[in-house]
Amino acid sequence: MSKTDKMIIASGKKKNSAANTAMTVFVYVVCILIAILCIFPFWAMIVNATRSSAEIQQRAVALIPSSNLMQNYKVLQKYESSGFRPLIGFKNSMIISTLATVCSVYFSTLTAYAIVVYDWKLKRAFFSFVMAVMMVPGQIVVVGFYQMIFKVHLNNTFLPFIIPAIAAPSMVFFMKQYMEPSLSLEIVQSARIDGAKEFFTFNMIALPIMKPAIATQAIFSFVSNWNQLFLPLILLKGDKRTMPVMVSLLKGDIYRTEYGSIYLGLTLTVLPLFIVYFALSKYIIAGVALGSVKG
Amino acid sequence: MKTNKIRHIVALIAVAMIACLLVGCGKEDKEIYVMSFTNEVTGMVETYVKAKGLDKEGWTVKTNIVATDGGAYQTALDEALKAGGKEVPDIYGAEAAFVLKYTQGDFADFAGTYDNLGIKTTEEIKAAEIAKYAYEIGTRPSDGKIVALPYQSTGGAFIYNRDVAIATWGTDDPAEVAKKIGGGSGNWDQFWKAAEELKAKGFGIVSGDGDIWHPLENGSAKGWLVNGKLHIDPSRESLLDVSKKLKDNNYHNETQDWQEGWFADMAEIGPKKVLGFFGPAWLINYTMNEHSGDTAGRWGVTTSPVGFSWGGTWVVAGKNVADNKKAIVADIIRWITLDTTKEGLQYQWAMGTYNGGTGETKDTVCSNVVLKMANGETGFVGGQNMFEYFIPANVNARGDNMTQYDEKINNIWRDKVRAYVAGDLTRDQAIAEFKAQVKTDLGFDAE
Amino acid sequence: MKKKGFSYAKWGYIFSIPFVVVFCLAMLYPIMYTLVIGFTEYRGALPTLKALSDPFKNYKTVLSEELFRRSLKTTFSIWLWNFIPQIGLALILAAWFTDDHLKLKGKGFFKVVFYMPNIITAATIALLFSSLFQFPKGVINDILLEFKMIDEAYNFAVDPKITKGVISFIQFWMWFGYTMIVLISGILGISPDIFEAADIDGANGFQKFVFVTLPNIKTIMLYTLVTSMIGGLQMFDIPHLYSDGGPNNATRTAAKHIYAKGFSGAYLYDEASAASVILFIIIIILSAILFFLMRDKDAAILEKQKRQMEKKYRQEYKAQVAAQKAKLAELEKEAK
Repeated sequence: MSKTDKMIIASGKKKNSAANTAMTVFVYVVCILIAILCIFPFWAMIVNATRSSAEIQQRAVALIPSSNLMQNYKVLQKYESSGFRPLIGFKNSMIISTLATVCSVYFSTLTAYAIVVYDWKLKRAFFSFVMAVMMVPGQIVVVGFYQMIFKVHLNNTFLPFIIPAIAAPSMVFFMKQYMEPSLSLEIVQSARIDGAKEFFTFNMIALPIMKPAIATQAIFSFVSNWNQLFLPLILLKGDKRTMPVMVSLLKGDIYRTEYGSIYLGLTLTVLPLFIVYFALSKYIIAGVALGSVKG
Repeated sequence: MKTNKIRHIVALIAVAMIACLLVGCGKEDKEIYVMSFTNEVTGMVETYVKAKGLDKEGWTVKTNIVATDGGAYQTALDEALKAGGKEVPDIYGAEAAFVLKYTQGDFADFAGTYDNLGIKTTEEIKAAEIAKYAYEIGTRPSDGKIVALPYQSTGGAFIYNRDVAIATWGTDDPAEVAKKIGGGSGNWDQFWKAAEELKAKGFGIVSGDGDIWHPLENGSAKGWLVNGKLHIDPSRESLLDVSKKLKDNNYHNETQDWQEGWFADMAEIGPKKVLGFFGPAWLINYTMNEHSGDTAGRWGVTTSPVGFSWGGTWVVAGKNVADNKKAIVADIIRWITLDTTKEGLQYQWAMGTYNGGTGETKDTVCSNVVLKMANGETGFVGGQNMFEYFIPANVNARGDNMTQYDEKINNIWRDKVRAYVAGDLTRDQAIAEFKAQVKTDLGFDAE
Repeated sequence: MKKKGFSYAKWGYIFSIPFVVVFCLAMLYPIMYTLVIGFTEYRGALPTLKALSDPFKNYKTVLSEELFRRSLKTTFSIWLWNFIPQIGLALILAAWFTDDHLKLKGKGFFKVVFYMPNIITAATIALLFSSLFQFPKGVINDILLEFKMIDEAYNFAVDPKITKGVISFIQFWMWFGYTMIVLISGILGISPDIFEAADIDGANGFQKFVFVTLPNIKTIMLYTLVTSMIGGLQMFDIPHLYSDGGPNNATRTAAKHIYAKGFSGAYLYDEASAASVILFIIIIILSAILFFLMRDKDAAILEKQKRQMEKKYRQEYKAQVAAQKAKLAELEKEAK
C-alpha cells in the first residue's frame, strides 16, 4: 500500500462517524427520489384507470384517484364480444409465461452446468456458439419464425412460445457467469465420491446453489414472456389469446379512444405480474447468499 | 424391408388423414368466420345473425379481431389467406389505408367475388346507387369483378365551431361561412383571408397541419406512384408551404392529428379556440362526439375549399366460402353494403339507430337511395341537416389517386414537412430526403 | 485401466443437447432463411425467391444507404447516453446496498421498487411518456410553465434532440434496476474473506469498492456490458412506440430501419435481411472486442499452464507405463 493510501485511510477514520451519518442521509435522499421516479408511472396508470376519458383529456396525469372505475370496467365489458375476456387471457398468459420460464431457467442452468463443470473438447466452440445465437438480431428472424410456424400448423397453439424458451442464450450466459465463481467443483467432486449420478448431482446440488440466480432470471423471463405482443398477435386467436393481445383490442379502434378503460386494461395486465414479482422478490431482497461455499 | 415399413406408415397416415377429412366434411359446418381490425364489421355480422334468428338454426360467428398494432392485422390476414383452407375468413375488413392491397394489389387474387356468392353485383349496385369510387376501389382489375364494398361514404366537409364564426363574422350560417372560407372555390385564397380575420380576433383556423393534409392529399391529380415511380403531385407538395404558412402566422395550435392536443381543440381547451376541422361525417360520430366535451351542439358543417374524402372500411368476401354457407354470407354482405330498406344496415347506420343508437351518430353511407331516405339533422351540429354538405362532397371521393403504400408514404412525407416547418430542413432538403427515404424504405425511385 | 475423470466429458455433451436440439428446431430455419434471402431478390407481400446476378446487391444497397449509416450512429448514441448513466447509477446503488457499514434500512423495499420499471410493458411506457410530453398541454409543459422556466408551451415531439434524450432516459429508467440487481448478485458472490482482509487493512468504503469490489465482479460486468450492448444495438420497442423513429429519423435505430424496410409498405425482405446480417456482424465484432478487453488474464495463463502440465503428466505417465511394461517383461523373462 502506498503512502497516500495510508493517509487517506487515516483521515477517513477520524471523521468516520460524522461522515457516515451525512452519507446515510444522502443515500436515503437519492434512493427516495429514484423510488418516486420508479413508482410514479405505475401510480399514474392506476389512477388513470379510475378516471373518465374526459378527465384524462383535461389533464393526462393525476395523483388522486377519481370515481370512474366501475364505469371504465363496464366499457371493457362491452368489448367482450370482440374477444376481451380477461380471465381467459390471464389463464393463457399464465400458462405460457410459467412454462416458458420453467423451461428457460432449468435448461439454461443445465447448459451452463455443461460448460462450467465438464471438460470437453467442443466446450469453447459451444460457448462461442451460444454467444453468437444471442447476438442474432431478433427483428428479422421473426418473419422466418412465424412463417415456419404457419407451415407446420402450430399457429394457435402455445408450443411456439414455450419450446424455444429452452434455448435462451443470454440466460445461459448469465448462469455461466454466475456459476463459475459460486459453484465449487470440489462439491461436485465430493458428490461423485458419494456415488451420485451426474444428473442427480445437477438436480440436487447445483440447482439449489443456483437458486438466487434462478429466481432473478425467472422474474426477468416471466416478465418478458408475459409482455410479448407481436408474435402472439399474429399467431394466436380466439380463446388462445394472451392478456396483452386482449388489451391491444381495446385500442384497435383509433377513432374512439376510451382512455380510462385502456388504462384499466393495462393495469389488469400488469397486476398478475406484480403478484409474481412480489412472490419472488424475497430473492431480490436477500440477494445472493453463497450457500455451499460458505458452508 | 425398411422401405416397406415406411410405406406402410405413410399409407396409414394417409388413410387416417382422409378419414379425418371425411369426418370433418360429414359434419355440416355452420360457422361464419369474420376477421377484422376493430369490432365494427364483426359486430355487424353478429348483429345480423342474431336479428335473423340464424343462431337458433345453429349458425355461429367466429370472430378474429387483430389490432392494427405495428401492421399485425395485415400480417395475420396475409398469413391466413396464404395458408388457405379453413384459415381463410369468409368475410374480412379492410380500411381505406390498405384496402387496395386486398382488392387491386398483391392480395387481390386471394379475395372471392361477390358474384360467386350469388350477389348480382351489376344490378344491385345500380339499384342501390352505390357511389362510384366505392365500387371502383372494390373492383379487382384482373377480371373486373367486385370483391369488396364499403358501407360508409366518406366525402369530407369543413366542420366549424359556430361560436367562433359568430364572434368573427357575426354569422354561423353554413352558406355564409362557406363564403368566408372560400368553400367550393377549389383554391385556398379566401381561406387565408379568413385565417387572418380569425387571427385578429385571437382564434386559429384549424388545429394542426394534419387537418389540412387530407384535402391536399385527396385533391391531388395523381397518386404517389406513377408507373412505378414516386411522383410528388403539386397539391401534396404544397403541404410544405401551407404548413409553414400556418405555423409562421400562428394560424393554428400546432397540434398533430390523433394526439391529445388535437382532441383538446375539439373541446375548446387548447391554447386558443380554432374555427374547425376538415373531415367526413365519421369524424363527427367517431371522434368529435367522444372528445368535444360540452361543445356538442355548437358545431356546424359547410363546404370545404377543396373537395376531399377520407377513410372508410371495405367488406371483402372470402375465397373459400363453403357451398352451404354461400347464401348466408351473401345475405350478410348484402345487408351491410347493398340493402336499401329501412331494415338494412346502411339506413340504420345513416340514421344513427344501428345497435340501439338514438340518432346521435348519423353518418353518410354509400347507397344514394338510402341517403335520399335518410335525413342528416344531427344534434351535434345544432340540428343542422349535415347531409346537405356531406352528400355532395361524395363526388370528390376517388380511388384513382390512391396506392397500397399510401399509409407509409404519407407518414414519411408528413414527417419531412414537420422537419421543414421546424427549421431542421430546407424545402429542397425536405423533398430530397423524402425521395431518398421512399427509395430506402419502399424501393421506389423518384421520377 | 482408464482414468475415471476422462469419462465425465460425455456429460458435457449430453447436457448441452437440449439447447442444440431446440436451436435447430426453432431458430435454425429462421436464421438460414434470413441468410439466404439476403443474397436473393425476395420482396413484396407475396414474395418469390429469385436469384440475383450480383449476390451482394442487397448488401451494397444497404451499405450505400445514408439512412442506414445514420441509424447505426443513432443506435450507438442512444445506447451510450442510456448505458453510461445506467451502469454508473447501478454500480453506486449496488455498492450502497452491499455496504454493511452503511446502516441502511428499507434496502429490500428500494431494491424491489427500483426493478419495477422493468415489469411494465413498453407499450404502456410509451403511452405514459407521450402523455407527459404532450403539446400544447401536457404535464411537463404545465410544470415548466408553472415555474416560469419557459414562456410558452414547447413542442417536444418535433425536437430531435429532446426526443432522443427522452428515449435514452426511458431506456435508462427501465434497465438500471435490472443492472443493479445483477451487479449486487455479483458483489455478493465475492468471498467475504477478501472484504474482511480489506477491513483489517483499514480500507474505507470507496477504496474497498475500487480495489476489491470492481476487480472481483469482472465476470458479471462482462455479462452486463455484453448483454446491454446487444440489447442496445437491437433497440426497437421504445423508439418504435414512443416516436416511431422520428422526428425526421432522429430516433430511427438500426432495428427500426430493418423494420421499416422489411415489415411494412413494400416488404423489402431481401434488403432487410442483408441489413440484419450486417448488424449481426457488427454486434459480433464489438462483443469479441469486449470479451478480449475483459478477458481474465490470470485465468488464461493458468489454463495454459494447466494444459501444459497435463501434457507433461500424460507424457510422464506414458513413460512410466512403458517403463513398467518393460520392467514387467524383464521380470517375466527372469521368472522364466
